[in-house]
Amino acid sequence: MASTEDKAANKENVSSWKDSIYNPRTGELLGRTASSWALILLFYLVFYCFLAGMFALTMWVMLLTLDDYVPRYRDRVPEPGLVIRPNSLDIAFNKSDSKNYKTYVNHLESFLQRYNDSMQENNDDCISGEYYMQDDGEMTKKVCPFRRTFLSLCSGLSDTDFGYQEGKPCVLLKMNRIIGLKPIGDPYINCTIKKDHPVQMHYFPSEGRIDKMYFPYYGKKAHENYVQPLVAVKLLLTKEDYNKELAVECRVEGTNLRNNDERDKFLGRVTFRIKVVE
Amino acid sequence: MSVEEVCRKFQTDLVQGLTNAKAAEFLLRDGPNALTPPPTTPEWVKFCRQLFGGFSILLWTGAILCFLAYAIQAATEDEPAGDNLYLGIVLTAVVVITGCFSYFQEAKSSKIMESFKNMVPQQALVIREGEKVQINAEEVVAGDLIEVKGGDRIPADIRVTSAHGCKVDNSSLTGESEPQSRSPDCTHDNPLETRNVAFFSTNCVEGTARGIVICTGDRTVMGRIATLTSGLETGKTPIAVEIEHFIHIITGVAVFLGVTFFILAIILGYTWLEAVIFLIGIIVANVPEGLLATVTVCLTLTAKRMAKKNCLVKNLEAVETLGSTSTICSDKTGTLTQNRMTVAHMWFDNQIHEADTTEDQSGAAFDKSSVTWLSLSRVAALCNRAQFKAGQDSVSILKRDVAGDASESALLKCIELSCGSVRMMRDKNKKVAEIPFNSTNKYQLSVHETEDPNDNRYLLVMKGAPERILDRCSTIMLQGKEQPMDEEMKEAFQNAYMELGGLGERVLGFCHLLLPEDQYPKGFAFDTDDVNFQTDNLCFVGLMSMIDPPRAAVPDAVGKCRSAGIKVIMVTGDHPITAKAIAKGVGIISEGNETVEDIAARLNIPVSQVNPRDAKACVIHGSDLKDLSQDQMDDILRNHTEIVFARTSPQQKLIIVEGCQRLGAIVAVTGDGVNDSPALKKADIGVAMGISGSDVSKQAADMILLDDNFASIVTGVEEGRLIFDNLKKSIAYTLTSNIPEITPFLFFIIVNIPLPLGTITILCIDLGTDMVPAISLAYEAAESDIMKRQPRNPSRDKLVNERLISIAYGQIGMIQALGGFFSYFVILAENGFLPSQLVGIRLNWDDRSLNDLEDSYGQQWYRKKIKIILIDMYACIYVDMFLALICGASKRRNKILIFGLFEETALAAFLSYCPGMDVALRMYPLKPTWWFCAFPYSFLIFVYDEARKLILRRNPGGWVEKETYY
Repeated sequence: MASTEDKAANKENVSSWKDSIYNPRTGELLGRTASSWALILLFYLVFYCFLAGMFALTMWVMLLTLDDYVPRYRDRVPEPGLVIRPNSLDIAFNKSDSKNYKTYVNHLESFLQRYNDSMQENNDDCISGEYYMQDDGEMTKKVCPFRRTFLSLCSGLSDTDFGYQEGKPCVLLKMNRIIGLKPIGDPYINCTIKKDHPVQMHYFPSEGRIDKMYFPYYGKKAHENYVQPLVAVKLLLTKEDYNKELAVECRVEGTNLRNNDERDKFLGRVTFRIKVVE
Repeated sequence: MSVEEVCRKFQTDLVQGLTNAKAAEFLLRDGPNALTPPPTTPEWVKFCRQLFGGFSILLWTGAILCFLAYAIQAATEDEPAGDNLYLGIVLTAVVVITGCFSYFQEAKSSKIMESFKNMVPQQALVIREGEKVQINAEEVVAGDLIEVKGGDRIPADIRVTSAHGCKVDNSSLTGESEPQSRSPDCTHDNPLETRNVAFFSTNCVEGTARGIVICTGDRTVMGRIATLTSGLETGKTPIAVEIEHFIHIITGVAVFLGVTFFILAIILGYTWLEAVIFLIGIIVANVPEGLLATVTVCLTLTAKRMAKKNCLVKNLEAVETLGSTSTICSDKTGTLTQNRMTVAHMWFDNQIHEADTTEDQSGAAFDKSSVTWLSLSRVAALCNRAQFKAGQDSVSILKRDVAGDASESALLKCIELSCGSVRMMRDKNKKVAEIPFNSTNKYQLSVHETEDPNDNRYLLVMKGAPERILDRCSTIMLQGKEQPMDEEMKEAFQNAYMELGGLGERVLGFCHLLLPEDQYPKGFAFDTDDVNFQTDNLCFVGLMSMIDPPRAAVPDAVGKCRSAGIKVIMVTGDHPITAKAIAKGVGIISEGNETVEDIAARLNIPVSQVNPRDAKACVIHGSDLKDLSQDQMDDILRNHTEIVFARTSPQQKLIIVEGCQRLGAIVAVTGDGVNDSPALKKADIGVAMGISGSDVSKQAADMILLDDNFASIVTGVEEGRLIFDNLKKSIAYTLTSNIPEITPFLFFIIVNIPLPLGTITILCIDLGTDMVPAISLAYEAAESDIMKRQPRNPSRDKLVNERLISIAYGQIGMIQALGGFFSYFVILAENGFLPSQLVGIRLNWDDRSLNDLEDSYGQQWYRKKIKIILIDMYACIYVDMFLALICGASKRRNKILIFGLFEETALAAFLSYCPGMDVALRMYPLKPTWWFCAFPYSFLIFVYDEARKLILRRNPGGWVEKETYY
C-alpha cells in the first residue's frame, strides 16, 4: 500500500543522511541523478544566456537612443555648485612644517597643470565679456584660454607654496560645469569670514570676476579641451587669526544663479573651514 | 454506598440539606463548581512570542546593528549621518508593528470563543437549611441537596436519593443517544454504569430527582475527562510547521549571504562599519518583512469566509489544517446523525414500509391509505405519553420540543406528520387507564374510549418489545382484516424483525383490541395495579422501528471527502450494529464493501478463515480494541480503508487518533460530547459542534461548526486546501522581490556601482507596495481539481519547496532583477552617467567631500544632486505588477488582485510624487517614461510564466512539472 512505501522511504531518508549527499544506489548526488543535474544546469545555462542576451540587447537599444553630446535630462542640475581646491572642506596645516601642507600644495599644483601656458597657447583668445556662442553646426567647439598666470600670486609660479608657507594660503574656486549654462549678469566670487574683524582677501583675477566668454559649455565630447574659469582667493591672515578655525563662505554674486538656498549649501556657494597653526 | 453513608460523609441532611455556613465552608475548601479552563499563556508572553518569533530576531539583529553603527559613527565622527539611526528606528518600528498586528489578529479570533462560553449560564436548585433556593451552579458544593427536573442540566455529580421517572441524557458523556433512567438503587459497581448517579452537565430529560452532590467541578467525571483533555500536549499545526520550515530556509539564506558578504567586504578592504552596514542591508533585503503579516491576514480572511459558512475557527492556523487532513475520525451521534430518534421503517400488511427520515421531509412517502396503517397510527398515537411542549405551533413538527421519551417522541412526530394532530386524536379517544412501560413487562398499554360516541366499547392499545407483543397476540391485522396468527405470519414477523434489527434500529411492536362490550361495559373500572382485564389474545397490528438517522448532507459530504482522498473513520460510543448501519447509511462503509464478518456470513465459513486482507471495511468493538497491540492497531488502520470503531471510551478515541498520527496522517476529529474532547484536543484539528456540542468539546476543539453540519467540514477542507495553494502564490510573489532587492547590494559591494536601492526603500517595497497584492492572492479562486486530488503529504509537499525557490529566486526573480537593473542604468544614463562609467565609481560617488563628480558628458555634480537620481524602486514595482497578474495563475478574474495592483501603483506614485518624500524617504519624482523601462522584462515574465503553465497543462508529469510545479 502506498502509505507503507512512504514510510519505508522516510525511514531510509532519516537513517542515512549521507545518502542525501551521495546515494550510491541511485547515483544521486544531492538528491539528483547526474542526468537530472545536467538537465537542470543546462536549463539554467540556456535561461541565463538568454537573459544576458536580452539584457545586452535592451542596453544596446537604450544606448542607441542616447545623444553623444548632451544627456537627455539636465533638469537635475540646472544650476552649478561651487567647489574649492584643495579638495577639502577642512583645511588645516602648520605653516612652519612644509610636510604638513605638502598635500595641499601638490594638489593645487597638479590641478593647475591643465592651465599651464603650454597647454593654453593653442587656444585663440576670445572676446572678453561676451558669451562665446558656437551654434554654427560645427561639432568640435573652440575653447577660450584660461592661463595660469591669470591667478598671479596664487598661480604657484612665483610662489610655489601658494602662500601656505607664509600663512596666507590660496584657495581656488570654480563653478561646476553645466552644459549650456549662460549666467546672466557679471559673475564674480565673493568670500566672507564670519569673524569679528574682517580678514583681508585678494582675488585673482581681480575682484574675483569670471569672464562670460567661458560660457556656455558644450559638453565633454564637443568641448574636449575646455578649461573652467577659476578664481583664486588669497586669505591674508594675520597673526591673530592663527590657531583659530575660520569659517569662510564664498558665493557667486552678480548673476541670476541662486546662491542662498536654505537647504542646499553647495548651490552657488561653498563653505569651508581653514585653520592655520603657527 | 447507602444514602445514609453519603449523608454522613458530607455532613448533610436528607431533608434540610446543608447549612449555609457549611456550604460556604465547603465552597471555600473545594472551590467553585466549575471546570477550570486550561491554563492559558499570559498575554504578555503571547505578545513577546509575536515580537521575537520568526523573522523578528533577524530584524532585531539588523536594528541593533544599526544602532551600534550609529553609536560608532557618533563617537568617531563630528557630524554622524542620521541614516543608520533612522533605519534602526524604522526596523524596530516594523518589528513592533507587525508583531502587534499578528498579536491582535490572534487575540481577535480567540475572543470569539470567550463570548461563546459566556452564552451558557447555569442555575441550580438546592435545598439549604430546608429551603429551596435557586443559586448559580458554580456555588454548588459537595453535600448539597439538589433537585432536578426534566429539562435541567445537572449541576454536579449527584447520588440520586429519590427519583420520579427520571431519565438523563448521557450522550455528551458516553455517546449513547438514548436517555437512561435514574433511580436510588445501585445497579452496578461501576459508577459510570450504575443508575443512582447522575453526572455533571448531562441533561435531565424527564421526571424529577433529588440527590446529594458527591463531586463538584474538576472532580466530577466530566471534569476528569476535561482535565485529561487539557493536560494533552498538542503538536504544532501543519501550517506552523511549514512556516517554520520556510523561516529556517530564509534565515539560513540571509545569514549565509550576510556573513559571506561581510567577510568579502572586509577582504575587499571596506571598513568594519561599512561591512556592518552591508550586513544590515543584506538582512533587510532577504527578510520578507511583510510576509508573516500577509500570511496572518490571508488566514484571517479565510477564517472570516469560513465563519460565514458556519465554520467558526478558534485557532487561526487551524484554517489550513483541515486542508491537509488525510483522516477524519468522526463521532456518530449528533455529528453524522441528527441526534434525534426518528421512525425509519414500519412493518404492516406483511410488508416493510420506509418512513421519511430526512430533516426536511423530502424523502419518499409510503402508502397511507391502508386500514392497517390507520390502526397502527392510532395505536402509536394513543399508547404514547409524549407530547409537544406548548407554544410551538409555528415551528415545523420535526423541530418542536417534545416532553417525553425519545422513542415516544419519534412516534409522536411521525404520527403528527402523517395523520395530523395527535392531540385531537387523543381528545376523541379519552384515556381511561394506563400501564406505563417497565422493564419487567417490557410493554406499555392504555385503554381508551372509541371515537364513535355510539360505540361503547373500549379500545385497548399496547406497544412494547416485539417478541413480547407477539406472544400476547392471537390474530394479526392484514389489509384491515383480522386474521388468525399462523406459523407463516410468525415467520414473516420474525424476518421483518430481524431485518429491521439488523439495520441497527430499535423495533417496537404494536397491537390493539376492542374489548367486548358485554364484559367491559361503559364505566368499567380498570385497575392497572391488579390487572382486571384482558391483556392477551390481542390483534397484532405492526412494527415500527426507529433510528437516529444520518443527517441529509452527510453521505454526500463523506463521498466528497473520499474523492478528496480523505479517509473517514467512525468512532462512536454506540453499539456496533447501530454504528455499522449508520456507517453504511452515510457511506463510511461504502456499498459492496464487506467486513470480515460479512464475508464469513456470505461464504458460510468461520470468521477465522477469512483473509482479513479481503475485507476493506471493518467494525471494531471497544472491548476488542483494548486487547490490540500497537502493531495490530497500525495494521488495522493501514489495511482497512473503511473502519468503524464502536463502544469506544474517551481514552480509546485518543488511542485511535494517536494511532492515525503515528502513521503520518493529519487527523481531524469531529465530535460533540465530552467523551470526544480528549481526541478533539489530540487531533491535529478538532471540530466541535456548535449547537449540540458540550462546552468541554468546544474548548478542546480548534474549529466549531455553528450549524452542526458535517458537510461544513468539506467546505473547510476546500478552504484549507485553497489557502495553502494561495499562500504558496503569495509567498512566491513576495520572495520574487527578494532577488531584485539583494542583487543591488551584491553588485554595490563587488563592482562598486552606486547603490541602486536603499534599505529604507526596500522596507517600503516589502511593507508598503508588495503587501496588498500578496494579500489579494488569498482571494484567488480554487482550481477545479482541488477536491479531487489527494491530501498533501506533510513530509513531501512543503509550503516552500525547492521548486518554488528555484522559480522565485532563480527564474522570475532574476528577470525582475534584470528589469530593475535595466531601469537603473536607463535612469542614470539619461541623466548623464553612462553604464561604462558606473563600474568602480562608488568611491567617488560616496565621497562626502567630493563636490564635482564628473559625469560622462563632462558635467560636474555636487553631493546633494548625485543622490537625487537614485530612485530605482519603481521599476521593480512595475515588474512586480505584472508578476502578480501571472502568479494569479489560472483565473484572472480576481477583482481584489486587480484592486491590489492599482493600489500598488497608486502607492508607488504617491511615494514618488508626493512633496516632501525627497526629504523623508529620498524618493524623487520619476519621469513618466521611466515607468516603462522595465516593460520588456514584465512582458518576458508574463510570456515565460504562461508558457510554463501551458506546458504544464499540455504535458502533465513531464520534466517541466517536476522542476517547476510548486
